[in-house]
Formats: sequence, structure tokens, C-alpha cells
Amino acid sequence: MNITAQTISGTTPRAPFNLPWYLRDLPKYLLTFAVMTVIYVGFRMYQGAYAISTGLDSSDPAFDVHWMRLLYLEGAFLLIVFPSLWGYLWFTRDRNLDKITPKEEITRYFTLTMWISIYTFAVYWAGSYFAEQDNSWHQVSVRDTPFTANHIIEFYFNFPFYILMGGSAWLYARTRLPLYAEGISLPLTLAVVGPFMIFVSVGFNEWGHTFWFREEFFAAPIHWGFVTGVWFALGVGGILLQQVMRLVQLLDQIEDAA
Amino acid sequence: MTGKSLDLPAQPYTGEKARLSRAYDYLILVLALFLFIGSFHLHVALTVGDWDFWQDWKDRQWWPLITPLMMITFPAAVQAVLWPNFRLPFGATLCISCLLIGTWITRFFAYHMWNFFPINEVLPATMLPSALVLDAILMLSNSLTVTSIFGGMAFALLFYPTNWPIFGMFHVPVEYGGAQLTVADLFGFQYIRAGTPEYLRIIERGTLRTYGQYATPLSAFCSALLCTLMYPLWWYLGKAFATTKYVQNI
Repeated sequence: MNITAQTISGTTPRAPFNLPWYLRDLPKYLLTFAVMTVIYVGFRMYQGAYAISTGLDSSDPAFDVHWMRLLYLEGAFLLIVFPSLWGYLWFTRDRNLDKITPKEEITRYFTLTMWISIYTFAVYWAGSYFAEQDNSWHQVSVRDTPFTANHIIEFYFNFPFYILMGGSAWLYARTRLPLYAEGISLPLTLAVVGPFMIFVSVGFNEWGHTFWFREEFFAAPIHWGFVTGVWFALGVGGILLQQVMRLVQLLDQIEDAA
Repeated sequence: MTGKSLDLPAQPYTGEKARLSRAYDYLILVLALFLFIGSFHLHVALTVGDWDFWQDWKDRQWWPLITPLMMITFPAAVQAVLWPNFRLPFGATLCISCLLIGTWITRFFAYHMWNFFPINEVLPATMLPSALVLDAILMLSNSLTVTSIFGGMAFALLFYPTNWPIFGMFHVPVEYGGAQLTVADLFGFQYIRAGTPEYLRIIERGTLRTYGQYATPLSAFCSALLCTLMYPLWWYLGKAFATTKYVQNI
């Protein structure tokens, strides 16, 4: 028996609801999924209720009431959540990373995977549903403002929100996992920074649309900035390989339990 | 008697380690599902885009060329991680399945339920048969070269015949207002879109139309050639992104 081995049973950190120790953060993960689903589905229902009646003409006073106010609310929400979450992750960082046990490290790898999973869930709503819905909406409305009924949700909530989640995953890894603290993970950084550039591409996109008023040739080169940004999501493959290699090492350091 | 050391192969995990490993697999599965729906769908929507959105864009000239060419990208990149490292032979099928899930959700809730386009006008194409063949060729050959050439060609060439049962009925000719149209064209004229004037300028322009029934196979073989090149390009791109490096500065 390896003298450095650690017996799993007996010293297992407590996890809620009789979950295995490595799934300690599963309830938080599922709760976050549920809250995000409510937010995104709520946005879609709001669009269904008010987009046709008040979202077609940006000079209509009702547009200000129903859409510009929503934009300001989103901005206020993000202004609070960004520093709060990132600040929390930074100020509660583990300052004794050299002392954590293999089991604790394994648990944190599970939690990091949950963070990245939440990030990809946000990428789903931003990159899939609301992105293609942009085409649908702009085929029945004439874009007379950069803040259309779909842009207000897609560009100014969904994009910052997945950046928030991606940045949180990066910060979690950097502050709580030894390997990610010793060096900066290149694939994790690529997977977070690349999609961040999609948000930056909004500037180029809207600038271009000041020349092309008509909507919408979706596959036009003006949209390809978004495309190159999303390629970097393939960095997740590298994160997977990094994690698997480390998990195998850690599992070799602990004894099995029935 | 001389002793001989035995090189035992790695044993699979048992007990709690096996359960832990399985739980990790499920987490990765959920992660991958949303990752590929989100990222691959955005890539396709902004490159294939209109050809996949609209029935009247599904022409003989660009649709069979653009669709396989842009859709072989992520499958190649994901295969480059899943096959050499984990011997999982479903990278392409995973990507295309995720794409279809995302596309169908959007077509139904964003186009049909919100803006009242008939679902028949916005049916997505499928690359699922092509993806299955691509995965099978990689699994059986275990060769990047063979998969690039034969898998890439099959991926493109299977596209039109496997989609024809879905879309053929919309290419039936009808006479409308003294002009001959397809049912797909009629959708376009009945459900006017903000982009309609520009669309009329773009859809099926050029002299290739005079080739009649030969236009489609020409586009398909052109796509097959390009896919054999696109596949290895994206294989290496996938490998490059899947780096395991740690750096000191960014």
C-alpha cells in the first residue's frame, strides 16, 4: 500500500443530501441551471408579449418604456453581479493550495467542471437560441436602432452574462486548483477569451450595419468576427485533457472504497 | 527458473473510483451538449446561415456546396480530440446532433412561434447520415488521410441525396401569376421578409442554372473536393486548441 494513500471512507468531506463527497456542489450547480433557465425563458416570454406591440419602432414612447428600461435594468444587474461574483471568488481564494488533500482537489475539479458547464449553458442561449432568433426578428422588423427587441437581450445581457460565467470559471480554477494557480492554463484562457471577443465584435457588427440598413443576410462577412470568436470554444478539449490527466494522478493517490 | 516481469495492462476502476469516473463522464456530457449546441450552431448560423434558414434558399448552386463545407469543421476538430485520446468514435455525430437540437429549438420557438413563419419554410437540413459515415470511416480506418479523402468526400456527397426526401416536395413546380415557380419560391413571396429584395438578387444567380440537372452534382463534387481539404485543416485546428499547456504570462 502506498503510504501516501488516503482512505476515502472515514475522512470524506460532507456533501448535502447524502451525495458522494465529490459532488458536494451539485445542488448549487442544478440551482444555477434552474435560475438561468427561468431568466432566459422569461426573456423569451417577455419578447412574445411586447415585441410586436411595442418593439417595432424605436421612436415610439412605448419602446422606451418596455425596451430601453429593460436595457437599463440589465445594465444595473450586470454592474452589481460582475464585481460581486468575481470579487467573491478572488477574496475567498485558497491561500494554502499546497496543503489541500487529493480528495479536496478532486472535488474542486468536479466543481470547476460544473462552472464550465454553466458557462457553456450561457453560451448555448447566447450562441444558439437568441443568436439565430436575431435573424428571425430582423426579418419581420426594420432595424432602426442598435437596441432592437432582440439585441437588448442578446448583445447586452446574454453576451456579458456568458463572459461573467466564463470569467468565473477561469477565476475559480486560478484561485482554487494548484495546477491552475502555478501556471495559466492556455486552453481555459482560450476558451474564455475567444468568446469574449464575440462581445467586442458587436462594435464592428453595428458599425457595419450603419452602411447596410436592410436586414438580414446572416452569412455575410460582417458577421464572421463572431464566428472566429466562437472557434476558441474548442479550447474546452484541452481543458478536458488537462483535467483527465490530473484526475488520474489524484485517483492513484487514494484508496478505493466499495 | 528465470523470472519474467509481467506488464499488466491498466485495470479499469472499480467501486467508488468507477462511480466517480462515471459521474465525471455525465458532467462532461452535459457540458459538451451545451458547448456544441452553442458554439457550432453560431458557427453554422453565421456561415451557412440563410441557406439553412429558408426553404427558397435551398438552391442547386450554393446550398450543396456551403453546407457540408462549413459543417465538417467542428466534427473534424472534435474527432481530433475524442478519437486519438479516448477512442470515442462519435465526434462528428455528437456535433451534428447538437447542431440539430439547437436548430430545431430555434426554428420552432423563434421563427414559428414568435414570428409566425410556417415551420415548413424554415426546416433545417440534416448532416446526420454524413456524420455517421464520417465517424465510421475514422473508426474503421484509424487514419487521418483515409478519413480526409474518403470521409470528407462522403460527408459532402451524401448531403443532397439524404436531404432530398425532406426537401424534394418543395421543389415541385407551380404556376403562379403567369410565372413558373417552385413551392419553396412561393413561400418566399408569400411571407415577405425584410431581406427579400436582397435575397432575390442573391438566390441562384449566375450561369450555372443553364446547366439544368447537372448543377447539383457539380456543386456536390466541388464540395467533396473542398471537404477533403477542410477536414485535415480543422483536425489540426482542433488539436491546436486542445493544447494542454500552462503558461506564465498571457
